[in-house]
Amino acid sequence: MIAVRAGEIGKLGELFERHHGPLYGFFVHHTGDRTASEDLVQLVFYRILKYRHTYRDEGRFFAWIYHLARKVAADHFRRSNAAPRGTDPDDLNAVPDEAPHAADRAVTADDTARLHAALAALEPNQREMLVLARFQHLKHEEIARLYDLSVGAVKVRVHRALKDLRDIYFKLSREQTA
Amino acid sequence: MNCQRIQESFLDYQDGRLSPPDASAVREHLKVCLDCQREWAGLQEISLKLDRLPPVAPSPRLRTQFYAMLETHRRESDSHSPFVQMRSRFDRLFSALLPARPALQFALACLMLGAGLFFGTRFIHPAVNEETAREIEALKKQLASTNEQIASTNQLVTHSILQQQSTGERLKMVLASLDLKKGDQLVVSDLLSALAFDPSVNVRLSALEALYPHATMPAVRSAVAASLPRDPSPLVQVTMIDFLAASRDPAVSSTLEDVSRSQTYDKAVREAARRALAQL
Repeated sequence: MIAVRAGEIGKLGELFERHHGPLYGFFVHHTGDRTASEDLVQLVFYRILKYRHTYRDEGRFFAWIYHLARKVAADHFRRSNAAPRGTDPDDLNAVPDEAPHAADRAVTADDTARLHAALAALEPNQREMLVLARFQHLKHEEIARLYDLSVGAVKVRVHRALKDLRDIYFKLSREQTA
Repeated sequence: MNCQRIQESFLDYQDGRLSPPDASAVREHLKVCLDCQREWAGLQEISLKLDRLPPVAPSPRLRTQFYAMLETHRRESDSHSPFVQMRSRFDRLFSALLPARPALQFALACLMLGAGLFFGTRFIHPAVNEETAREIEALKKQLASTNEQIASTNQLVTHSILQQQSTGERLKMVLASLDLKKGDQLVVSDLLSALAFDPSVNVRLSALEALYPHATMPAVRSAVAASLPRDPSPLVQVTMIDFLAASRDPAVSSTLEDVSRSQTYDKAVREAARRALAQL
């Protein structure tokens, strides 16, 4: 990142190769929208380029990239709440298929779908922290720095998010088996 | 440890981050507490399900679009546009100079605003060139001379109307002269003339009232004292005596003594003169 900041823009490719997968996972689990997640990952790297001069070399690139990702996700939720976006039919061939597999479609009580539905039902802030802790495997100390919270507060919130997720998941299971 | 503390440490216990004594305490507690066993089992189950979620991978579109964007940026930065270079330098300069934390940025902005206000009010004054200063000075002089002209016009108008015959207009002007704060010889002499010679009691009484502000002038007091024996109206005479008593001038006491003794005056006038003498 220091090289990118100094003007070696080509080096951003290396950062992209290293981080775009986990970032995409963060956005998919947070937004539940695979197509939008690709755009959001692209937006994070665009912002890295745009604001590269503001990066401070404190060995915390990981924290900085997730700081940008959180802002991008918040903007995305604000935009989606304000105005639903239309889809150009010509783009449909180029985007990943979000529909469940044919075998899964036959079974409505599919575990994965239920878990995604439970994740989507969580509060956005709760979901974001849970995704960072469970999918991105950020340490509690790193999340605490990101949110400007104490480590204890982060543990409590992650634990509460897990409990809420479990409750929603089991409630959905009961409803689908009933 | 109670159940709440045990459940709060579940995450660290799950990740193996508890110290051996704490981990042992959690294990022992789980053996005996059904609530915590249920909680732990639920947490384990949901964690396992989360871990088993299939990994997600982006489509090739993302990589294609990213490298297209990178290429566009590279071309722009290689174009050596003076504007782009200058902006880049400014960006680097400001990012080096300014603090990164928003709270510090806010504090710095407040500090700079305060300093700007302080220096602005203390050291910067509106620039006035010599020509403007001369114009202002000339206007001030012109204004002063206009004020003087207006004052003298007022006095002239007062004087001329006092000479007119109509009692109503004379009375009006005497009352108007009450507003003249500055003693002017012409107005005072007109008021004294009105007091001495005006045939209307009302005009004479009003003139006397208008003379109150000028009672400090010895000439006014002696003129009132001289008018006193000549005035035909006991009402005006009593008012004159009150005026003289209010002036506290010992020089008028001889006039008052004469009035108090002479039988030619009305009884009320004599009485008023005695009271005034007592006051003096």
